[in-house]
Amino acid sequence: MKLNRFAATALLCTSLIAGSAFAATIDKPECVAPAKPGGGFDLTCRIAQTGLKDQLQELMQVTFMPGGIGAVAINMFNTTRTDDPNAIVAFSSGSLLNIATGKYGEWTENDVRWLATAGADFGAVVVRNDSKFKTLAELMDAFKQGESTVVVGAGGSVGSQDWMKAALLIKSIEKDPKKMRYVAYDGGGDAITGLLGGSIEVYFGDVGEMVSHLGTGTMRVLAVMSPDRLPAPFAEIPTTKELGYDAEWTIMRGYYMGKNVSDDAYNAWVEKFKAAYATEEFAKIQKEKGLLPLNMAGKEFDDDVKKRVDRMRGIAKEAGLIQ
Amino acid sequence: MADRIFGSIALVISLIYGFIAFTIIKAPFQYDPLGPEAWPRILSVVAALCCLYIIARPDGQKFKVLGHTLTRIALVVFFLSAYAVLFERLGFIVSTALFCGVLSRMLGATAKQSVLFGIASGILGYGLCAGLLDLNLPTGAIFKNLKLL
Amino acid sequence: MDTVFAGLSQGFAVALNPINFFYVIIGCFSGTLIGALPGIGPINGVAILLPIAYSAGLPPESALILLAGIYYGAEYGGRVSSILLNVPGDAGAVFTTLDGNPMAKKGEAGRALSLSAVASFIGGTISVILMTLFGPLLASVAIHFNPSDYVALMVFAFTCLASLVGKNPIKTLLAAVMGLMIASIGIDANTGVARFTFGIPDILAGIDFLVIVIGLFGMGELITLVEHQVTGKLAVLPVGKSFVSWKDLMVTKWVILRCSLLGFFIGVLPGTGASVASAVAYGTEKRIAGKSGESFGTGDIRGLAAPEAANNGSAGGAMVPMLTLGIPGSGTTAILLGALLLFNVTPGPLMFVQRPEIAWGLIASMYIGNIALLIINLPLVGFFARLLTIPQKYLTPLIAVLAFIGVYSVVSNPFDLYMIIGLGVFGWLLRKLGFSLAPVILGVVLGNLFEDNLRRALSISGGDWMILIESGRSIAIYVLTALILFVPPLVSSLRRRAATNAATSEA
Repeated sequence: MKLNRFAATALLCTSLIAGSAFAATIDKPECVAPAKPGGGFDLTCRIAQTGLKDQLQELMQVTFMPGGIGAVAINMFNTTRTDDPNAIVAFSSGSLLNIATGKYGEWTENDVRWLATAGADFGAVVVRNDSKFKTLAELMDAFKQGESTVVVGAGGSVGSQDWMKAALLIKSIEKDPKKMRYVAYDGGGDAITGLLGGSIEVYFGDVGEMVSHLGTGTMRVLAVMSPDRLPAPFAEIPTTKELGYDAEWTIMRGYYMGKNVSDDAYNAWVEKFKAAYATEEFAKIQKEKGLLPLNMAGKEFDDDVKKRVDRMRGIAKEAGLIQ
Repeated sequence: MADRIFGSIALVISLIYGFIAFTIIKAPFQYDPLGPEAWPRILSVVAALCCLYIIARPDGQKFKVLGHTLTRIALVVFFLSAYAVLFERLGFIVSTALFCGVLSRMLGATAKQSVLFGIASGILGYGLCAGLLDLNLPTGAIFKNLKLL
Repeated sequence: MDTVFAGLSQGFAVALNPINFFYVIIGCFSGTLIGALPGIGPINGVAILLPIAYSAGLPPESALILLAGIYYGAEYGGRVSSILLNVPGDAGAVFTTLDGNPMAKKGEAGRALSLSAVASFIGGTISVILMTLFGPLLASVAIHFNPSDYVALMVFAFTCLASLVGKNPIKTLLAAVMGLMIASIGIDANTGVARFTFGIPDILAGIDFLVIVIGLFGMGELITLVEHQVTGKLAVLPVGKSFVSWKDLMVTKWVILRCSLLGFFIGVLPGTGASVASAVAYGTEKRIAGKSGESFGTGDIRGLAAPEAANNGSAGGAMVPMLTLGIPGSGTTAILLGALLLFNVTPGPLMFVQRPEIAWGLIASMYIGNIALLIINLPLVGFFARLLTIPQKYLTPLIAVLAFIGVYSVVSNPFDLYMIIGLGVFGWLLRKLGFSLAPVILGVVLGNLFEDNLRRALSISGGDWMILIESGRSIAIYVLTALILFVPPLVSSLRRRAATNAATSEA
């Protein structure tokens, strides 16, 4: 391990990639969003940018590294920037799922240092306002008649976290997710269009994106997939768990760093995040960006992520996504 | 003749593409009857048929590139690749200055002109795009380190 | 209707407030500049400038007005490098190069630039008017447009391809299939399986459309320039003081009108934007022109006006689902939607009730932006056209620099730089061998839309192919496809027969 770090440092110095690897203070902080501007990773980085404004000497820069659903970024932080002490990379539970299903190739959850969370979002079971399904129980009854009686859809492909939400719910009543009628849309916006237009009957979305649709009376949230009831405006909506279905889906947003980042540098960042979590400002930013509080950093977080990936791997294996 | 050579190369690529589509691509399970493999399979067959037709009946398109021209074009491609390699390493200003200087020299500018042009486009380009429009351009790893020292 | 006019007058009051008016102008101007850079279109222009607008601490209505100005400006600016350099400024401007650049080569750069500015203005204005009057109505139609209807639309678009046939139909077909093959690279949107990625992470999500366009066209053009320079075929481009004439406008008036409407409707559909709109408009117009359409591709003013009117028409159309339903209809509106959320404005029908000053201010700023852009752009025509007087020895390297800036600044991935060089060589080879690049681009644009929607439709029906002709909309589109396929040749053959009849009876 030590030798590794030494080798990487030597490599780093010769290739002139970044500044001193020994400094524990953070200068020129950078948040890498492994996507194009405007998406969820951009948002995750903006939370760090504004949320840590008072903790850092300089304003954090947000850079973009799109390509391969985050694979390009994790590749970069495993080859050239393994111990960059000043850069953090945004990720979501979707990235964890990619790790679990092997989409990132050789890189696994043990190849980066999981740093801290930005916040969380939760799965939501959504129908059109005039849908024949008034409650989640009615929908589940239909599924019990046969998985393919209802056309469901979401904004991601088979094996994505959007698909996972549907699969978990069906699995919770001992039915086979492979037999459902699932339509993969290109993003949540397209899927909502499909729901409103009647192409699909149930949409598995996120709580955060429903905020802007709640008051319009076009859609109804049957249940949220969070462990506990959510604050207003979702306080009235039951959770899948309390309705008796073991199908929980937390969309976690957070940051990681390179594997060979020194403990000093890592801990410096952990401290900054913990300090930020304690402020009201940070909670306000989370809310503004449509996230719910889920604050974890450091070792505790690293363990939690590894547990999550493990669980996802189990689900993926059961669903036949991986061997 | 050029048509036939191109047709053959394209045919080989279509066959490889088709081979992958017919043997490797497979989803663990799918909800649509076509799956990820049907579409590429159709494409590979159509492409291969087109290539065969071109090989059988070339339309006599002449591909006249003199050796001299080809060298020049190869040089341009080389300069472009070098520019791409140096873009992040040397940063926008230096790599652009080098590239513009060298290419304009090759295209007939005098030595003095090309040096001036190279430097001007490097600095002005950076000032305009990174400064005024706030685009993200590489400062260059070298300069980053110099600043830290 | 009364509420529309009341709202609109409120909006104009907001947008014409001197400060906001200033922002519209600033937005249009910087949008035009940023859009003129090859590779940076409206999507990236807005995305890049959004953080600046946010951190400048502007009030939400001013910031959104500024961004809308940038959006429109970039849409206008895209044509400048398309026409002058044969390098598309953004994805929607690919088809502008086909006739715009030949015009510039004939010394009619000024005419091309000014005509395209007028076509853009008309396209933009018509779509904003339609959006204001029929927005909510259209949105409700658009959401019912289901995957099988998209399949029908794609069949229609591919039929337009038949009109792009060059000298050798097989080569056109092969070019289109190559485009489709390029589009198939990356993770499959339905099953999540990686296709043809060979373990390279940079292409896991597919090759970015922009990289393909800049590579095939921009870099390909650069190599062609060098080749011509060496062989002495490179004439100094004549720069006449040409300008669009009243006669030009009369010739193209129906083309512009048709394509504005077509662009608008395609823009309203979520998932299809400026690139599909301009491709379909170009193909349809060539088809409609019949025999006289053979001059398309050699500098025909109709071939220039069609994609320009359509891509600006689609910009307004894309706003419809965003403003009325809160669903982004295109990449750019997705970013504008993000901007609205950033300012704590919830898009959708409620916006008109809760924050009318923003909703109507935004719409009014589009009217003003269109007029401002026409006024800004017409005097700039001479200035832009003079760019062509830059000697080739300087212009050629500058094209490469611009392309590098455009590709790199958005995604900062050096891999893309290698990609454009490789694609450039490929594009140059294709051109040398008598392939047209337009079908390649059409294949790339439509490939995923076609495949994904076909498979989506079949997942909905559980494998029943009859779903493809279930809705009246699909059938109507297929009928339209048959019309566009058979009527123009029929009409021209009837005309020919009439002409020969007349000739024989005269004799």
